[in-house]
Amino acid sequence: MRKGFASSYRIVLLATGILVCFGGLGARLVWLHVLAREQLLGKVNSVRQQITIERARRGDILDARGAPLATSAPMIVLGVDPWVLRKEDEARWPQLAGLLDLPEAELRRIFTTKYRVAASKPATASGPASAAGLVFNFNVTPPPAPAAVAPADEEDDLDGEADANGRREKRWAVLRRGVSESTKNAALALGIKGVRAEPASYKREYPFRQLASHVVGFIEREQVQATRNPSEPLRATGIERYCDFYLRGQDGWRKDELDGRNRELPQFNLRKVPHTDGYSVTLTLDLNVQDVIEEELKRIASTFQPLKASIVVSDPRTGFILGMANYPTYDPNEYAKIPKEEMARLRNVAMTDIYEPGSVFKIVAASGALEEGLVTPDSRFDCSLTSIEYKGKPRGLPREDHHFGHLTVAEIISHSSNRGAAQLAMQLGDQKFYNYARAFGFGHTTGLPGGAEENGMMAPPAKWDGLTITRMPMGHSVSVTVLQMHQAMSVIASGGVLLRPQIIREIRDEKGEIVARFDRTEERRVISEATARTMARMLMGVASKEGTALEAAIPGYEVAGKTGTTQKLEPVSLADGTVKQVYSARHHVASFVGFFPASRPQIVISVIVDDADGHAPGGVAYGRTVAAPSFKRIGEQLISYRDIKAGGAVVAPSFAAVEQARR
Amino acid sequence: MTSAHTPVTSRGRSLFNPAAIITVCALGLTFLGLSILFSASAWFKNKQGVEVPYQYLTKQVIGVFAAGALCFVASRLNLDYARRYAWWIAGGLLVLLVLVLIPHVGISVKGSRRWLGFASMRFQVSEFAKLGLVFCLAHYLALNQTRIGELKRGFLYPLGIIGAFALPVICEPDFGTTALMAAVGIVLLFLAGAKWRFILPTVALLGSAFALLVAHNPNRLRRMTEFLSEEKSYHLRQGLIAFAAGGTDGAGLGQGRQQLSYLPEAHTDFIFSVVGEELGLWFTLGTVLVFALIFVAGLVHLRRAPNLFHYLLVNGCLLLICVQAVINIGVVTGVFPTKGMSLPFISAGLSNLLLMGLLLGVILNTQRTWGRAALPERERAMGEVYA
Repeated sequence: MRKGFASSYRIVLLATGILVCFGGLGARLVWLHVLAREQLLGKVNSVRQQITIERARRGDILDARGAPLATSAPMIVLGVDPWVLRKEDEARWPQLAGLLDLPEAELRRIFTTKYRVAASKPATASGPASAAGLVFNFNVTPPPAPAAVAPADEEDDLDGEADANGRREKRWAVLRRGVSESTKNAALALGIKGVRAEPASYKREYPFRQLASHVVGFIEREQVQATRNPSEPLRATGIERYCDFYLRGQDGWRKDELDGRNRELPQFNLRKVPHTDGYSVTLTLDLNVQDVIEEELKRIASTFQPLKASIVVSDPRTGFILGMANYPTYDPNEYAKIPKEEMARLRNVAMTDIYEPGSVFKIVAASGALEEGLVTPDSRFDCSLTSIEYKGKPRGLPREDHHFGHLTVAEIISHSSNRGAAQLAMQLGDQKFYNYARAFGFGHTTGLPGGAEENGMMAPPAKWDGLTITRMPMGHSVSVTVLQMHQAMSVIASGGVLLRPQIIREIRDEKGEIVARFDRTEERRVISEATARTMARMLMGVASKEGTALEAAIPGYEVAGKTGTTQKLEPVSLADGTVKQVYSARHHVASFVGFFPASRPQIVISVIVDDADGHAPGGVAYGRTVAAPSFKRIGEQLISYRDIKAGGAVVAPSFAAVEQARR
Repeated sequence: MTSAHTPVTSRGRSLFNPAAIITVCALGLTFLGLSILFSASAWFKNKQGVEVPYQYLTKQVIGVFAAGALCFVASRLNLDYARRYAWWIAGGLLVLLVLVLIPHVGISVKGSRRWLGFASMRFQVSEFAKLGLVFCLAHYLALNQTRIGELKRGFLYPLGIIGAFALPVICEPDFGTTALMAAVGIVLLFLAGAKWRFILPTVALLGSAFALLVAHNPNRLRRMTEFLSEEKSYHLRQGLIAFAAGGTDGAGLGQGRQQLSYLPEAHTDFIFSVVGEELGLWFTLGTVLVFALIFVAGLVHLRRAPNLFHYLLVNGCLLLICVQAVINIGVVTGVFPTKGMSLPFISAGLSNLLLMGLLLGVILNTQRTWGRAALPERERAMGEVYA
């Protein structure tokens, strides 16, 4: 430079210096952008992305009329932004505290805590994963903290920037979790600015508590499911378990990016799979019927204090179960509170427990003999015999409670003659009798969904001993479930056809479209319609003056049914130290299974009471005294509820003969 | 030199003159700044949680227009006329600088008292003081160019001027601006011809004083040790990650993630990181090149400077732009220790933008007036307010 006032080498020196700086910065940029890229990015992506599970709502279980037996209530979280609270709302704070069941001082503390501790950042920074929506921290107990600053237990993703003192504004403080919809609405209706509600998850609720609990079942809490080892079986029972596939729905998920404070960035949503709510399951069960039988069970329980009792009600025209209940029962809302030794309360004993059916089983031998044309209702048998020759050998016949002479088939049923039943079975022979028993549904499950159903115990003829043919027709040396017995009686009520017992009516998707529907399904024909009709008429004799259960008769209605009084097997220690099962004289299973109106059956009711002897009249629990009155009471209530008309007076000649013979 | 013989008019009006290049560069940087600023601040929310995507952009656009107006005024002023009032300007600025320091008058943000409020606007006086320092120093050194070899009038007095401006600024405290002022001031002294034997000890002395100050303040010491160690601070690490995330091609405008709460001050001091993430290597390199181009064009322009005052003034303006850019980019890329300093033309901030307008105005002014060097200096200097 030729300027006189400026030294040229100095400006060159300066220019060189500055340009070298620029060059250095350029090199540094290449380094950062390209060369050191991988190393710098490191785990950035894994920290920045999160996968949020969007919970599907578990479907409802409804009764036939749409009343919710099981439903999923959203667990709402109610919280507050302490920064937008207004002075004029302060008067309503106590009301809010009352609504949320929160001490007023505690509410005031949450409302006035505007900063969280500076140290809370490292605590929450420990895991972006913990903010990923999957973790339920319902039971987090907040660590002790100074009154002016909040504990670091809550999500701070809405907080403002740290100020000069390192404090962070608290923009979201949880007031209460698991708030009900109505409480939420009431709380928001107070109009306190800053109080907000956010949905979190769902809680399974059973609004009718113990009603139909054995059928509906329960499912473990959602948060238990979320933390459970997936390889462990689902803890659920009843329909909740059986229809879990439909009820469960499909959880959705969302993969999105987080900003520096773990807030989601909706504009950068990477992928989203929407959730599908679970399907709803409509049962054939009618809550009103269910209520009637559960009330009756309560009555039985308080009157007789039995070991257990079951009542099943169904419609023989369709096979739909209208009501099914057991004593003892439980409230599925509180399944976790049941003590270990009382776990039996969870069982749907109508399906899971077996008992010896006793006299009710006589319908098998009678139906079989009639169907085969071996006898007519008027055929007579000598019921005073103590032994009879069968297959070339004399067989001892069982004892009778009363002394009988010659009885017609109709009288064998109405008087419940053990020897008569044995002779009817002998007419049929081992194999045919066994086949009829199988055809009536004994010895194998009915296929009713929603329980660990028992097969029952019925040995094939090859394993019979010499007395089985005399004992099995009266319901001994055979074990059945309540449901099997109910189904067998339903065969007669439904005109000789075995209908599949059904508890699920239909399954609808979340939009209400029908996904699956279950209608009347015939499994097989067991006996002809004529035989069924004859049987029905003979069974009417049970609930008559001459029969064993006048207590079951409903005035104006043709009630058909059969009593059963079974001695329970009792373990007895013998002198040589072995234990033998002996029929007890003090413990009985009392049952009455029947239907009405006999000529056009609309309702089948089974009442089975186990071991009610202690409080039964006379110290013995007979089906007549313990079960039959319950049948009648339930029947009477169902007549008015289901508007059942008295049956048509179609009286067959054979029936007239029975009547005549009685006179 | 050939330029002196070129006809004045054609040179002054050529579109390819250095000042025009600088203007185009400045406008380009400003536009880049607005785009990136929008991207970096569009997600902002106010206290009530309502999104205010245009808040910063609107402010910045208004600032750009205000800076344009200032630029025009500065380009029309008769600089030689303004020299008469150099000491008045200096005095006025010093009074304002002291006013800033008084509690309740100056506005304090995050522990530093740097702003004066006027209506709803806030001005950072030290920004304007930078230009004031350059102006006064150039004026003094031009008046005393024959005494530049003397210790007192050639070195200590101008050093005193620098000190007078730097002292209130360091009290704010604003070490970045102080360092920039001291650096530019001493470079101007150096260019004016101050003796090496005065300059070198001074630089050494200032260096040790700076080290002492750093060691004295734990906060600054921590920053410095963080810088020297491998483990970078959160702030800086997030800045560096942004560059890496951008790669060669960048994530795309509006696609940056780092400004979303990962990176504090993304719209002001660390805006260059956002450029790096959203636009990638070519744009960051381009930005550095554009600043270098401004500097080179300025150097070419300087060769026509008619006298020492103009020479030092324009040189100071160039340095204020380029040294500040070097420091800011150096800090953001982790070459220098973290120091709050805005990136000229690009960072959000009214005061800095206005200063840039003034600096550009001064350069444009000289582009017009240096062609008229034929006029006797004295005569022109005594002439009109507007050149």
